[in-house]
Amino acid sequence: MIRLEGVTKVYKGGTAALRDVTVEIGKGQFVFLVGPSGSGKSTLVRLLLREEDVTRGNIWVAGKDITKLPRWKIPQLRRSVGTVFQDFKLLPGKTVYENVAFALEVLGHPRGVVQQQVRQVVELVGLAGKGERYPDQLSGGEQQRVSIARSFVNRPPILLADEPTGNLDPATSVGIMRLLDRINRTGTTIVMATHDHAIVDAMRRRVIALDHGRIVSDVNEGSYDDTMTHRTVQAPAATPKPKAPDIADEVAAEDKGSGEIAAEEGSPSDPMQEAVEAMQTHRAESPEEPTT
Amino acid sequence: MIRLGYVLRDALQNMRRNVFVAIGATIAVFVSLVLSFGALVGNEVVASNTGQWQEGEHIAVFLKDVPDGITSADHQSLQAEVESWDEVAEVRYVDRAEAWEEYQELFKDSPSVLELSDSSVVPRSIRIKLKEIDSFQDIQFRLEGHPAVRRITVQGEVIERLSSFSKTLKRVAVGIAVIQGSAAVILIANTIRLAIYARRDEIAVMRLVGASNWFIQIPFLIEGLIEGLLGAGLAVATVWFSLRYAQDNFTLLEFLKIEVSPGFFARQGFFYLVFGAAAGFFGSALGVRRFMRV
Repeated sequence: MIRLEGVTKVYKGGTAALRDVTVEIGKGQFVFLVGPSGSGKSTLVRLLLREEDVTRGNIWVAGKDITKLPRWKIPQLRRSVGTVFQDFKLLPGKTVYENVAFALEVLGHPRGVVQQQVRQVVELVGLAGKGERYPDQLSGGEQQRVSIARSFVNRPPILLADEPTGNLDPATSVGIMRLLDRINRTGTTIVMATHDHAIVDAMRRRVIALDHGRIVSDVNEGSYDDTMTHRTVQAPAATPKPKAPDIADEVAAEDKGSGEIAAEEGSPSDPMQEAVEAMQTHRAESPEEPTT
Repeated sequence: MIRLGYVLRDALQNMRRNVFVAIGATIAVFVSLVLSFGALVGNEVVASNTGQWQEGEHIAVFLKDVPDGITSADHQSLQAEVESWDEVAEVRYVDRAEAWEEYQELFKDSPSVLELSDSSVVPRSIRIKLKEIDSFQDIQFRLEGHPAVRRITVQGEVIERLSSFSKTLKRVAVGIAVIQGSAAVILIANTIRLAIYARRDEIAVMRLVGASNWFIQIPFLIEGLIEGLLGAGLAVATVWFSLRYAQDNFTLLEFLKIEVSPGFFARQGFFYLVFGAAAGFFGSALGVRRFMRV
């Protein structure tokens, strides 16, 4: 689904953010990108969106070499790559529905389609009943759910998440990870850049560690600590937070609970089931999620 | 594929959000076009007047008569001579009766003048129509020494002055259009830049979700187009009403008929509307270009 070959990115001024990175991410994988600040995580995300051009090397996304994509075709690439950021990037003047609908409207979809899809995805992320609220009436976790809904409403095959839990407390982060996990189960490839040890440890997914623009480890079902043993540079303390076991349990429990979703999602003709499920999840999470 | 309604609503929403900026841009286009369009229409008024004079007779040669020892045979020979000149298109002999009619017509509002005069006071004359008005000075010079000629009046001076005035006006119209037009284009470019800046978050999200560049830009281009069109429309309307006002209020200047053919006005008005819209569109394209590098 995503393949980088010898990718080097040197910014103007000579800062090398990525050096000769070669990696392949398969369809449907859930991959964590870890590493200290300045290790090149965000640059990688930006390259995948063609917000920056590579200095050397090639990047294939869904079979196409995006480094050779003509400028006017870049929007098409971004339609197939959903993005979630630490700062949500919601429009404050629009309601939850409007924020999500905006992503479809600006692609020129007819209103009927937009309404239906938006309702569906807002329910999926557990915000049914909060569609008319504005971002400042939502908690951080809820805002991130809106942002995820917006990135996913178009059903892109790939979702990039750059520190999606960076602004959220651990309990809220669990909810977000559950949601991403569920989206992953629909067959969506997810690449998530993060600093959050607890989450990485709990999820037991593929972990790619970057340092100084190079891949220093790549472990399947890895933890944050695994990557540390390969590190050559002094990193921040990697002791798991006391909260970690709880999160692991919760995410694991959620994994079992939503085991059938992957099958369900294959047939989008069953929005009711999806909605009911989403609402249940939402109700279950509500007590944990502090409303600010 | 892309919904026109959505895009149009977006453009109008933009303008409502920055209503003063939009008004400013519209006024800039209006000012730049109203002066230029006014000059153009003014020129047309002058041109149609010179045209009328050009249609008519250019030189009137009033003749001496029997008391001065000149006979009608002399008149006829003079007429024949003038007719033989290359520059002359037509010569008409105006006898006393005809001249008296003209005289009566001219002073019909002043009965006291008419009471004091009769046909004997009006001179006979020949009227000359030229092929090229520019030649009036040569003709005047040739006729001046002739024994049968009492006095010559020439419309040419008026014509010449008017036609040079018209040329100046035309230049002024073009000059204003160019200078003010580029000012309007730049102003609209800045307006659009402001509008883009006001919506930068929205545009960032649009890019993120893969909206096409065209879709992002088109509302701004439409906004510029509307502002240009509105400004031009105001300018055309203003000139139209000024013209009507002048027609109703400056009737004293009989020699100058304030009149423009509706066809001319419609044609030029349409051209100015297109010009305004194009200026707006071009201006906003200029403003958009900078910001739209992906």
